[in-house]
Amino acid sequence: MTEASIRNKPGMASVKDMPLLQDGPPPGGFAPVRFARRIPNKGPSAIAIFLATFGAFSWGMYQVGKGNKIRRALKEEKYAARRAILPTLQAEEDERFVKEWKKYLEEEARIMKDVPGWKVGENVYNSGRWMPPATGELRPDIW
Amino acid sequence: MGSTGDAVGEPVPTSAVLMAAAKHIGTRCRNENLALLKCKKDDPNPEKCLDKGRQVTQCVLHLLRDLHQNCSKELDSYAGCMYYHTNEFEFCRKEQKEFEKACPFP
Repeated sequence: MTEASIRNKPGMASVKDMPLLQDGPPPGGFAPVRFARRIPNKGPSAIAIFLATFGAFSWGMYQVGKGNKIRRALKEEKYAARRAILPTLQAEEDERFVKEWKKYLEEEARIMKDVPGWKVGENVYNSGRWMPPATGELRPDIW
Repeated sequence: MGSTGDAVGEPVPTSAVLMAAAKHIGTRCRNENLALLKCKKDDPNPEKCLDKGRQVTQCVLHLLRDLHQNCSKELDSYAGCMYYHTNEFEFCRKEQKEFEKACPFP
Protein backbone atom coordinates (compact mmCIF):
# COMPACT_ATOMS: atom_id res chain seq x y z
CA MET A 1 0.00 0.00 0.00
CA THR A 2 2.01 2.88 1.06
CA GLU A 3 5.74 2.81 0.89
CA ALA A 4 5.99 2.71 4.67
CA SER A 5 3.96 -0.47 4.89
CA ILE A 6 6.16 -2.14 2.25
CA ARG A 7 9.55 -1.13 3.50
CA ASN A 8 8.74 -1.43 7.09
CA LYS A 9 11.54 -1.90 9.58
CA PRO A 10 10.40 -2.77 12.99
CA GLY A 11 11.32 -0.08 15.41
CA MET A 12 11.61 2.77 12.93
CA ALA A 13 10.84 6.19 14.22
CA SER A 14 9.91 8.05 11.04
CA VAL A 15 9.59 7.66 7.37
CA LYS A 16 13.11 8.95 6.90
CA ASP A 17 14.53 5.78 8.51
CA MET A 18 13.15 3.39 5.99
CA PRO A 19 15.73 0.99 4.60
CA LEU A 20 16.79 1.49 0.99
CA LEU A 21 15.13 -0.58 -1.70
CA GLN A 22 17.36 -0.20 -4.73
CA ASP A 23 18.28 -2.10 -7.86
CA GLY A 24 21.91 -2.70 -7.47
CA PRO A 25 24.73 -5.02 -8.41
CA PRO A 26 24.78 -8.56 -7.14
CA PRO A 27 26.93 -9.23 -4.13
CA GLY A 28 30.56 -9.28 -5.21
CA GLY A 29 29.92 -6.95 -8.11
CA PHE A 30 29.61 -7.72 -11.78
CA ALA A 31 32.14 -9.60 -13.89
CA PRO A 32 34.83 -7.39 -15.45
CA VAL A 33 34.09 -6.10 -19.00
CA ARG A 34 36.91 -5.45 -21.52
CA PHE A 35 36.50 -2.23 -23.39
CA ALA A 36 40.06 -1.64 -24.61
CA ARG A 37 40.77 -1.63 -28.40
CA ARG A 38 42.55 -4.73 -29.74
CA ILE A 39 42.87 -4.06 -33.51
CA PRO A 40 45.23 -6.75 -34.92
CA ASN A 41 48.23 -5.69 -36.92
CA LYS A 42 48.34 -8.58 -39.42
CA GLY A 43 47.21 -8.63 -43.08
CA PRO A 44 48.89 -7.32 -46.27
CA SER A 45 51.43 -4.58 -46.01
CA ALA A 46 51.19 -1.29 -47.85
CA ILE A 47 53.53 -2.44 -50.60
CA ALA A 48 51.52 -5.59 -51.10
CA ILE A 49 48.28 -3.63 -51.42
CA PHE A 50 49.85 -1.20 -53.85
CA LEU A 51 51.29 -3.97 -56.01
CA ALA A 52 47.97 -5.82 -56.05
CA THR A 53 46.12 -2.67 -57.12
CA PHE A 54 48.69 -1.83 -59.75
CA GLY A 55 48.63 -5.40 -61.03
CA ALA A 56 44.82 -5.50 -61.28
CA PHE A 57 44.75 -2.14 -63.03
CA SER A 58 47.42 -3.04 -65.56
CA TRP A 59 45.85 -6.42 -66.33
CA GLY A 60 42.55 -4.66 -66.86
CA MET A 61 44.12 -2.10 -69.19
CA TYR A 62 45.80 -4.90 -71.11
CA GLN A 63 42.40 -6.53 -71.62
CA VAL A 64 41.00 -3.17 -72.75
CA GLY A 65 43.82 -2.87 -75.27
CA LYS A 66 43.18 -6.36 -76.62
CA GLY A 67 39.48 -5.60 -76.96
CA ASN A 68 40.23 -2.33 -78.72
CA LYS A 69 42.41 -4.12 -81.23
CA ILE A 70 39.61 -6.53 -82.01
CA ARG A 71 37.10 -3.69 -82.34
CA ARG A 72 39.43 -1.75 -84.58
CA ALA A 73 39.85 -4.76 -86.82
CA LEU A 74 36.08 -5.07 -87.14
CA LYS A 75 35.74 -1.39 -87.97
CA GLU A 76 38.53 -1.66 -90.52
CA GLU A 77 36.72 -4.51 -92.18
CA LYS A 78 33.57 -2.42 -92.46
CA TYR A 79 35.47 0.59 -93.79
CA ALA A 80 37.35 -1.51 -96.33
CA ALA A 81 34.06 -2.90 -97.62
CA ARG A 82 32.67 0.62 -97.93
CA ARG A 83 35.80 1.78 -99.75
CA ALA A 84 35.46 -1.08 -102.21
CA ILE A 85 31.84 -0.22 -103.00
CA LEU A 86 32.24 3.57 -103.09
CA PRO A 87 33.20 3.96 -106.78
CA THR A 88 30.20 1.90 -107.91
CA LEU A 89 27.80 4.10 -106.01
CA GLN A 90 29.54 7.25 -107.15
CA ALA A 91 29.35 6.14 -110.77
CA GLU A 92 25.61 5.48 -110.46
CA GLU A 93 25.06 8.87 -108.88
CA ASP A 94 27.13 10.55 -111.59
CA GLU A 95 24.95 9.06 -114.32
CA ARG A 96 21.81 10.18 -112.57
CA PHE A 97 23.20 13.64 -111.97
CA VAL A 98 24.28 14.15 -115.57
CA LYS A 99 20.82 13.20 -116.80
CA GLU A 100 19.12 15.60 -114.41
CA TRP A 101 21.63 18.34 -115.17
CA LYS A 102 20.91 18.14 -118.88
CA LYS A 103 17.20 18.46 -118.18
CA TYR A 104 17.87 21.43 -115.94
CA LEU A 105 19.99 23.15 -118.56
CA GLU A 106 17.29 22.72 -121.16
CA GLU A 107 14.76 24.17 -118.76
CA GLU A 108 17.02 27.13 -118.07
CA ALA A 109 17.55 27.73 -121.77
CA ARG A 110 13.80 27.68 -122.34
CA ILE A 111 13.11 30.15 -119.54
CA MET A 112 15.90 32.57 -120.36
CA LYS A 113 15.82 32.41 -124.13
CA ASP A 114 14.57 35.98 -124.53
CA VAL A 115 16.98 37.55 -122.08
CA PRO A 116 19.81 39.24 -123.98
CA GLY A 117 23.30 38.33 -123.03
CA TRP A 118 22.47 35.33 -120.88
CA LYS A 119 24.83 32.42 -121.43
CA VAL A 120 22.80 29.41 -120.55
CA GLY A 121 24.29 26.74 -118.40
CA GLU A 122 27.16 27.15 -116.18
CA ASN A 123 27.60 30.70 -115.10
CA VAL A 124 28.31 29.76 -111.53
CA TYR A 125 31.63 30.57 -109.90
CA ASN A 126 34.79 32.08 -111.31
CA SER A 127 37.42 29.82 -109.82
CA GLY A 128 37.29 27.32 -112.65
CA ARG A 129 36.61 24.31 -110.41
CA TRP A 130 33.34 22.47 -110.67
CA MET A 131 31.04 23.00 -107.73
CA PRO A 132 27.82 21.07 -107.15
CA PRO A 133 24.67 23.15 -107.70
CA ALA A 134 23.68 24.96 -104.52
CA THR A 135 19.92 24.87 -104.61
CA GLY A 136 19.60 23.76 -101.00
CA GLU A 137 17.78 20.64 -102.17
CA LEU A 138 19.53 17.33 -102.56
CA ARG A 139 17.03 15.50 -104.76
CA PRO A 140 14.34 17.92 -106.04
CA ASP A 141 12.43 15.14 -107.77
CA ILE A 142 12.00 13.31 -104.51
CA TRP A 143 11.38 16.21 -102.18
CA MET B 1 16.07 -15.75 -97.56
CA GLY B 2 15.29 -13.99 -100.81
CA SER B 3 17.42 -14.28 -103.87
CA THR B 4 19.92 -11.80 -105.15
CA GLY B 5 18.59 -12.00 -108.69
CA ASP B 6 15.62 -10.30 -110.26
CA ALA B 7 13.10 -11.89 -112.60
CA VAL B 8 15.59 -12.38 -115.44
CA GLY B 9 18.23 -13.87 -113.17
CA GLU B 10 20.65 -10.95 -113.21
CA PRO B 11 22.00 -10.11 -109.77
CA VAL B 12 20.57 -6.87 -108.41
CA PRO B 13 23.26 -4.64 -106.84
CA THR B 14 21.48 -3.80 -103.60
CA SER B 15 23.49 -2.67 -100.61
CA ALA B 16 23.37 -6.10 -99.00
CA VAL B 17 24.66 -7.80 -102.16
CA LEU B 18 27.37 -5.19 -102.63
CA MET B 19 28.55 -5.42 -99.04
CA ALA B 20 28.50 -9.21 -99.24
CA ALA B 21 30.65 -9.15 -102.38
CA ALA B 22 32.77 -6.22 -101.20
CA LYS B 23 35.95 -8.20 -100.71
CA HIS B 24 35.67 -9.65 -104.22
CA ILE B 25 34.99 -6.21 -105.66
CA GLY B 26 37.96 -4.82 -103.81
CA THR B 27 40.35 -7.32 -105.34
CA ARG B 28 38.96 -7.92 -108.80
CA CYS B 29 37.81 -4.42 -109.73
CA ARG B 30 40.68 -2.65 -108.01
CA ASN B 31 42.12 -0.99 -111.12
CA GLU B 32 38.82 0.44 -112.28
CA ASN B 33 38.06 1.73 -108.80
CA LEU B 34 41.41 3.43 -108.49
CA ALA B 35 41.08 4.97 -111.96
CA LEU B 36 37.71 6.48 -111.09
CA LEU B 37 38.95 7.83 -107.77
CA LYS B 38 41.98 9.41 -109.40
CA CYS B 39 39.77 10.97 -112.07
CA LYS B 40 37.50 12.35 -109.39
CA LYS B 41 40.38 13.78 -107.44
CA ASP B 42 41.62 15.64 -110.48
CA ASP B 43 38.22 16.99 -111.49
CA PRO B 44 35.07 16.44 -109.43
CA ASN B 45 32.84 17.21 -112.41
CA PRO B 46 30.62 14.19 -112.96
CA GLU B 47 30.49 14.68 -116.73
CA LYS B 48 34.24 14.26 -117.05
CA CYS B 49 34.46 10.83 -115.40
CA LEU B 50 31.45 9.16 -116.94
CA ASP B 51 33.41 6.62 -118.99
CA LYS B 52 35.48 5.45 -116.04
CA GLY B 53 32.30 5.22 -114.02
CA ARG B 54 30.79 3.02 -116.71
CA GLN B 55 33.85 0.77 -116.59
CA VAL B 56 33.48 0.43 -112.84
CA THR B 57 29.80 -0.43 -113.15
CA GLN B 58 30.48 -2.97 -115.88
CA CYS B 59 33.23 -4.62 -113.85
CA VAL B 60 31.06 -4.87 -110.77
CA LEU B 61 28.05 -6.22 -112.69
CA HIS B 62 30.17 -8.83 -114.46
CA LEU B 63 31.64 -9.84 -111.14
CA LEU B 64 28.19 -10.17 -109.60
CA ARG B 65 27.04 -12.24 -112.54
CA ASP B 66 30.06 -14.55 -112.12
CA LEU B 67 29.39 -14.99 -108.45
CA HIS B 68 25.73 -15.60 -109.13
CA GLN B 69 26.62 -18.33 -111.60
CA ASN B 70 29.32 -20.04 -109.61
CA CYS B 71 27.98 -19.98 -106.07
CA SER B 72 24.52 -18.51 -106.18
CA LYS B 73 23.21 -20.37 -103.15
CA GLU B 74 25.99 -19.19 -100.83
CA LEU B 75 25.80 -15.69 -102.24
CA ASP B 76 22.05 -15.62 -101.69
CA SER B 77 22.33 -16.78 -98.09
CA TYR B 78 25.16 -14.37 -97.30
CA ALA B 79 23.40 -11.41 -98.89
CA GLY B 80 20.17 -12.38 -97.14
CA CYS B 81 21.96 -12.46 -93.79
CA MET B 82 23.51 -9.05 -94.54
CA TYR B 83 20.10 -7.70 -95.46
CA TYR B 84 18.64 -9.02 -92.22
CA HIS B 85 21.43 -7.62 -90.06
CA THR B 86 21.84 -4.32 -91.95
CA ASN B 87 25.31 -4.94 -93.30
CA GLU B 88 27.02 -5.87 -90.05
CA PHE B 89 29.75 -8.35 -90.75
CA GLU B 90 29.98 -9.67 -87.22
CA PHE B 91 26.54 -11.28 -87.34
CA CYS B 92 27.12 -13.23 -90.53
CA ARG B 93 30.42 -15.00 -89.93
CA LYS B 94 29.02 -18.44 -90.69
CA GLU B 95 27.56 -17.45 -94.04
CA GLN B 96 30.71 -15.51 -94.82
CA LYS B 97 32.89 -18.56 -94.23
CA GLU B 98 30.70 -20.74 -96.44
CA PHE B 99 30.65 -18.09 -99.15
CA GLU B 100 34.41 -17.71 -99.14
CA LYS B 101 34.87 -21.46 -99.21
CA ALA B 102 32.59 -21.74 -102.23
CA CYS B 103 33.94 -18.72 -104.12
CA PRO B 104 37.46 -17.95 -102.99
CA PHE B 105 38.83 -14.63 -104.10
CA PRO B 106 42.00 -14.42 -106.15
